[in-house]
Amino acid sequence: MSATARDALWAKLRGQGLVEGELPAPGETRAPWFVRLMLGIAGWIGAFFLLGFVGAAFAFVLQSSAASFVAGACACAAAVVIFRAAPRNDFIAQFGLAVSLAGQVLLVMAVGKWFSGPSVVVGVALYIALQQALLFVLAPNYLHRVWAAWSGALAAAYALVDMGLYAFVPALMTAAFVGVALREFDLARYGAIARAGVYGLALAAMQAAVMHGGLSGVLIGLRGDHGLSLGEAGIWLGRLASLAVLLWAVVELLRREGLALSSGQGRVGLAGALILGAASIKAPGVAPTVAILIVGYANTDRALTGLDSFALLGYLSHYYYSLQTTLLEKSALLAAAGVALLAARLAMRSWWPAPKGGETGHA
Amino acid sequence: MKSMRGDLLDWSDQGRIPAGRLREALDAAGVLPGADAWRRFLDRMLLFMGVVLLGAGMIFFLAYNWNDLGRYAKFALAEVPILAVLAVVWRLGVDSLAGKAALLLASLLAGALLALVGQTYQTGADTFELFAAWAAVILPWVLVARFAALWIAWLALLNVAVALYFHTLGWLWGMFFSPEKMLWLLFALNTAALVAWEGLAATGIEWLRERWALRLVATASGGAITALGLYDILDWRETSHWGVPLWFAWIAAAYYAYRHWLRDVFVLAAGVLSVIVVTTTALAKQMPMRDAGALLFLGLLVIGMSAAGGYWLKRVVAEEGA
Repeated sequence: MSATARDALWAKLRGQGLVEGELPAPGETRAPWFVRLMLGIAGWIGAFFLLGFVGAAFAFVLQSSAASFVAGACACAAAVVIFRAAPRNDFIAQFGLAVSLAGQVLLVMAVGKWFSGPSVVVGVALYIALQQALLFVLAPNYLHRVWAAWSGALAAAYALVDMGLYAFVPALMTAAFVGVALREFDLARYGAIARAGVYGLALAAMQAAVMHGGLSGVLIGLRGDHGLSLGEAGIWLGRLASLAVLLWAVVELLRREGLALSSGQGRVGLAGALILGAASIKAPGVAPTVAILIVGYANTDRALTGLDSFALLGYLSHYYYSLQTTLLEKSALLAAAGVALLAARLAMRSWWPAPKGGETGHA
Repeated sequence: MKSMRGDLLDWSDQGRIPAGRLREALDAAGVLPGADAWRRFLDRMLLFMGVVLLGAGMIFFLAYNWNDLGRYAKFALAEVPILAVLAVVWRLGVDSLAGKAALLLASLLAGALLALVGQTYQTGADTFELFAAWAAVILPWVLVARFAALWIAWLALLNVAVALYFHTLGWLWGMFFSPEKMLWLLFALNTAALVAWEGLAATGIEWLRERWALRLVATASGGAITALGLYDILDWRETSHWGVPLWFAWIAAAYYAYRHWLRDVFVLAAGVLSVIVVTTTALAKQMPMRDAGALLFLGLLVIGMSAAGGYWLKRVVAEEGA
């Protein structure tokens, strides 16, 4: 946004009593998502070198699980102190990130050695989820919080898979994302924390959706013969849960916009959600990615909607190789869903007509 | 460079927006989508998702190993939809959104038809030839569509064809086709596309000014030259030793183009990451990797370089709004 547009926006909001104090200098603002992504990747590279340093200088730390745990806990605690002591210093923040990541690896290595037998996956996964939840709350750094939310949610997903609730993972991850994202702007001083959680949960939900199917063998391969066995009914229930989450997201958005379900907009939204949700019964990655797409758009989050569009394409590519359904069934399902969506688009034009002279470039 | 949404969220985090009134402020600023914006979004979503699902359904249908269908029936199933879609394009025109979506669908169906040709006549063609032929066949539609997403799909087909070409023939003629040659070709392809696209966009062609598409192409180009630089530094097999010099040239050109000419912080951020990776690899190669001091030094160096890079990028973003 240009300086002139920024000044004009500030003046407009001040006129409505929506801002207080002086217009902040542009330098006080935070970095765009791609700068944070660069910092996150570099943070991981730095963490690997720091881990290598610990291994080379203090070999006993890596050899003993107790020493690993103590060193990891100290590193994470140091990172929390660093983030709190100098929240605006770029070098210190990046150092804290690398130290914390190295500490997290040490902690997980230690805990991994303490579990054995059939409970190893669920035990370690639940421990990681708990550890990352704690770090999410304690470490006041945006990038670190996104990472903690993402990795913690993925660990919870692994635990659910190992407990036999594999079919419910996409729905649960997406529900967690929708629940937080729809309240993102209402949490006042916790807003920045919620936004970090939204990105972390969105990444985990997209991953759960894209990997649901053939690639999930990577996850299922970890399972022994323990956990719940819900069979075919469990798979159906999980997919119905994805449909329910998509419908819930649409209903909540309509409510947020003050629109009745029976209005033109309500009918378009519900029809689209039902078509895509029904397709998800056989192509289970569709409903979660669509739910993320519409909630991302509702919050004007272009990075999220862009990333999710690629996740949807990624899911369709993966779906081709999924062995749970024949190509013939998949083709019938996708073609039917495609035709139904195009029909819904035509219906939208009568249920929700465009404003006069308000549209160009459309059929 | 920064969005209005980003500024409002910053102001909220800084306590400049009263507690609980952020949504009101976003609404007042016109950041949150209104009824018209929602309608446009749903219109596009239903159109493009419908087209992609329909196209994928057709491809899956033809990929099914049909024994009950004769050759002519199969070709009719592949060709009639293409003709029908082209009739829709003719009816709607390529300037309409639905016309562009129909051309995208026709392009997907053309791939399915080519796969069917290979499957039916057992042409003996390699997979890379399918993708190369697919790109060649749809080129006229890509040219007339004036649609950034279709150009990206076309470039993706070419990238896949190049990668598959070396994957297929690399083991056969390993002496002549090394991964380095594949990277050089991918680098040349994506860099040429980037230069041409940026050049044409700068002349004022509106539909080419889609930054997301240009960023994808820039990432592909930068990723390839970074890999070539690493290949050169690590001296895997026998390299041409052009990787590092060309990497320097790419970084310098990207800095000039995206700092002073076009101003895109996304590409600058990717460049910073490339500098960190290549510099660290070059130094690590010269150091004993079992030495604790060397590992600590490299860790701190990466942290320092990334923090400095992040600081500089934030300054550039702030300058844009100053």
